[in-house]
Amino acid sequence: MASLQVFDRPLCCSTGICGPEVDPALVALAADLAWLAGKGVAVERINPAQQPQAFAANPTVREELHTHGNDCLPLVLVDGVVVSRGQLPGRVQLAAWTSVPLETSVALPVMTESCCGGGTSGPSAGCC
Amino acid sequence: MHLVDHPTRLLFFTGKGGVGKTSLACATAVALADRGNRVLLVSTDPASNLGQVFGFTIGESAPTPVPGVPRLSALNINPEAATRAYRDRLVGPVRGVLPAETVKAMEEQLSGACTTEIAAFDEFTGLLERTGTEQAFDHVIFDTAPTGHTLRLLQLPTAWTNFLDSTTSGASCLGPLSGLEKQRHQYADAVATLADKETTTVVLVARPQAAALEEAARTSHELGLLGIGNQRLIVNGVMPEGESPDPVARAVRERERKAMTNIPAAIATLPREAIPLQPCNLVGLPALRGMLTENPAAAVSAPSRPAAPPPRRRPSLRTLVDGIEKDGHGLVMVLGKGGVGKTTIAAAIAVELASRGHPVHLTTTDPAAHLSMTVESDIPSLTVSRIDPHDERERYRHHVMETQGGSLDDAGRALLEEDLRSPCTEEIAVFQAFSRVIQESRQSFVVVDTAPTGHTLLLIDATGAYHRDVVRHMNPDLHVVTPMMRLQDPGQTKMVIVTLPETTPVLEAEALQADLRRAGIEPWAWVVNASLAAAGPTDPLLVARAAAEEPHIDRVESRNPRTAVIPWLTEEPIGSRRLLEFVRA
Repeated sequence: MASLQVFDRPLCCSTGICGPEVDPALVALAADLAWLAGKGVAVERINPAQQPQAFAANPTVREELHTHGNDCLPLVLVDGVVVSRGQLPGRVQLAAWTSVPLETSVALPVMTESCCGGGTSGPSAGCC
Repeated sequence: MHLVDHPTRLLFFTGKGGVGKTSLACATAVALADRGNRVLLVSTDPASNLGQVFGFTIGESAPTPVPGVPRLSALNINPEAATRAYRDRLVGPVRGVLPAETVKAMEEQLSGACTTEIAAFDEFTGLLERTGTEQAFDHVIFDTAPTGHTLRLLQLPTAWTNFLDSTTSGASCLGPLSGLEKQRHQYADAVATLADKETTTVVLVARPQAAALEEAARTSHELGLLGIGNQRLIVNGVMPEGESPDPVARAVRERERKAMTNIPAAIATLPREAIPLQPCNLVGLPALRGMLTENPAAAVSAPSRPAAPPPRRRPSLRTLVDGIEKDGHGLVMVLGKGGVGKTTIAAAIAVELASRGHPVHLTTTDPAAHLSMTVESDIPSLTVSRIDPHDERERYRHHVMETQGGSLDDAGRALLEEDLRSPCTEEIAVFQAFSRVIQESRQSFVVVDTAPTGHTLLLIDATGAYHRDVVRHMNPDLHVVTPMMRLQDPGQTKMVIVTLPETTPVLEAEALQADLRRAGIEPWAWVVNASLAAAGPTDPLLVARAAAEEPHIDRVESRNPRTAVIPWLTEEPIGSRRLLEFVRA
């Protein structure tokens, strides 16, 4: 079975609820990774504030950070190889990278809403 | 019955900054040592002036014997130093290995109040365990940090224990927690120790003022919920009875009497003692030994000041409002620790601007709401809205679960619920509520009686960067303004820091300022509130207190050119008429 590592952006939590708006993609990612782990994939999500040394210990991650800066985060590695940088993968991508079959019955949490949470809370002084 | 007559092994002093916890903890420690007990005095106050009180340097690693007091030792826990050490332990090894930008972002994650709490709690738990097993001391006295911090410090044992029990995914918001898990049995021990009535007494310290007593009642209630029931109340700094004709002294006495008559039910029945107002801050052993005696005035020789110096001319709140008015619109955020009078200052600024004909929106977190009710009725250009931090937090939780939780499976929902239990959620939620009105400040004035910390702003902005990137990617022409950018622009936002002319409140306010500066925000003005020096008392005791304020006011003024000093008022400025008088005084 494949192993997948997500090197996160500096956020204080894995779902990003601390932001001006909850990013549905971040929430979905947290759920997708749990799903993937349930399929037997060795999933690791590494928060820079919790495990700075895991960033420093990985030569690929070090290289990426020196080349692209923090913009390369979140960085996704499958079996140690970079498969995605600077964006949040969806369940379809995650499944494809790790050769896990997708169940058709599962409602895919794809990013259909806008980045700002679909304006669910009315006018806000958020990013947009 | 006095506290020193039948003390438990552990004594915790808690209360808002500036109520006199340090003096009382020191006086109690000296009294117990004088009675033949071996006593350890521990300060966890970041603004620790334990050394100043005793006149010697106190160790941070091992208990230091206090000269002149046999059997008494003292120890400082500096939460800020503990936080730095904690951060260095985590981030230090990657410095020089990862790019500076990455290291900086990691450090900001570990610079918030939560990290300070965790680091301080780590020290505290260790100390509790050590002093619990070794029998070198009969009594350990903790001079804890100001109330909010203390509360969390004491609350953490339960919170962590529950949290660790329920955490399965290891993906929590409480980032730095992961480093602590190996010591979890210590948390359970700490909870048991704190709740043990035979071992622990919590001494709630308050001034005879409504706000301080309310705060003590809240603390009492929350500690009670944690099973910490052995509590006592010390009312510190009570104005002694006297015949002086000074109207300020009479008003002080009258207001204290009223506050004590209306003492909140939660603390009304606690064992209570009152300590009279001292002419100056207590320094030195004779003063400490006199504090808990029946007649402290005899033990403390008051500095002889035959006549009150005339109050110096200092800029009033009105001067600040003139500066705010110049721009014709903008956001005014008033910040400061609880109890310094933020809400009153915010309301006064709003009322004055509105009375000059400007449309003004005042947003307040004033839980009593009496202020907003009385000001909004009679000034047509003033709108008042109220934000309840607790409601906002619940609303935010609900909103997140509703909008985001629906698409998740059970595990995902559990994860989200868990993150929403984080301590930073409330501050974020309140800021969100405020940010709904921030937009208005482009055309009119918006006055807000609280502000997020610089750390929270940096975290919000780090998250906001995600959104910015996505938006830029989708539409490169779209101009994006984040709340952070608006708050950093002095043309749009003016931050006003409120403090009191006393040691701890000034240090606390300076910490807020340093935090804002880290987020690239320079506070626009300072307000020193409730100054006796500015009120010009004639009563000798109050004259001495007023003189003690001068160095603190000077310190604020010398560092912040735009500083207003507001006199202690004989009447609380409630209602628009009184608020206007307050501004124009």
